Amino acid sequence: MNADQILTEIREANLSYLMLAQSLIRSDMEQALFRLGVSEESAAMIGLLTPAQMMKIASGNTLLCKMRIDDDLVWGLLTNHGRGAANDTTSRLHASILMAGRHQEAA
Amino acid sequence: MARMKSILTEAKQIERAVTLINLGARLQVLESETDMSYERLLRLYKEVSGRSPSKGQLPFSCDWFMTWQPNIHASLFLNIHEYLNKVAEMDEIDTIIKAYQLYQEQTTAQGLEAMLSVTRAWRLVKFVDNGMLTMTKCSRCGGHFVSHPHEIAKYYVCGLCSPPARAGKGRAAGAIKMDAGTSGPSDGLSIH
Repeated sequence: MNADQILTEIREANLSYLMLAQSLIRSDMEQALFRLGVSEESAAMIGLLTPAQMMKIASGNTLLCKMRIDDDLVWGLLTNHGRGAANDTTSRLHASILMAGRHQEAA
Repeated sequence: MARMKSILTEAKQIERAVTLINLGARLQVLESETDMSYERLLRLYKEVSGRSPSKGQLPFSCDWFMTWQPNIHASLFLNIHEYLNKVAEMDEIDTIIKAYQLYQEQTTAQGLEAMLSVTRAWRLVKFVDNGMLTMTKCSRCGGHFVSHPHEIAKYYVCGLCSPPARAGKGRAAGAIKMDAGTSGPSDGLSIH
């Protein structure tokens, strides 16, 4: 991947993210806050963006969305590392409970 | 003297009631969460669901939420509910509806049966409000799980980190399974 390609791919990803975020926010603000893990203020801003603004914000050399999983425990549950053939659904359910319990990222 | 009724409020209540009926709520939930009369609710119920509402008492026991599988389902729902409660300001019943929809989505996406009905979810929130149930942090995984109040947090271990011996061995479709027999995410003890 050369530099040009990287920039194009990042812009694409940013743009899809913003568009998805906007339609989630417009269809149901509160549920979107849970799905996206952003603050109410950011969500309100994203909801109001015009297509031109989105294009502008999307082009850059960094991604706009951030990884929400930041600890070994949840990673382990999601990837099933160190658990052998443990039941996948149950681990994912466990991970969902842990992630749903983390509201400090948004509040 | 007749009460002055706002048509807008009424429209909102009907919409709410329809959403609840579609989620499978019992009539008692609708009666408690809207100002509509029993007769109107009954008519609405038949119109929306095409059948008469189930009769009889609501499930009223706290104990159901303490058994293994229901506890996991209830904890998932309540975590989502708490999340919405923290980040967004809504009427209590709207928080329940939205949290329940997210819970349902989550379980369906993972191929599980949504074991917690919306009526039970509503009861659960009431139990928590009344201090009859609460959430306790698991000392192993740090997740919050539905528990009795005054659980000793230091020693509390959740049903997923330490499942009871017979848990997850059932063959029912859509049930939580512990097939491979490992217990917690952090320890490698196997359960036979």
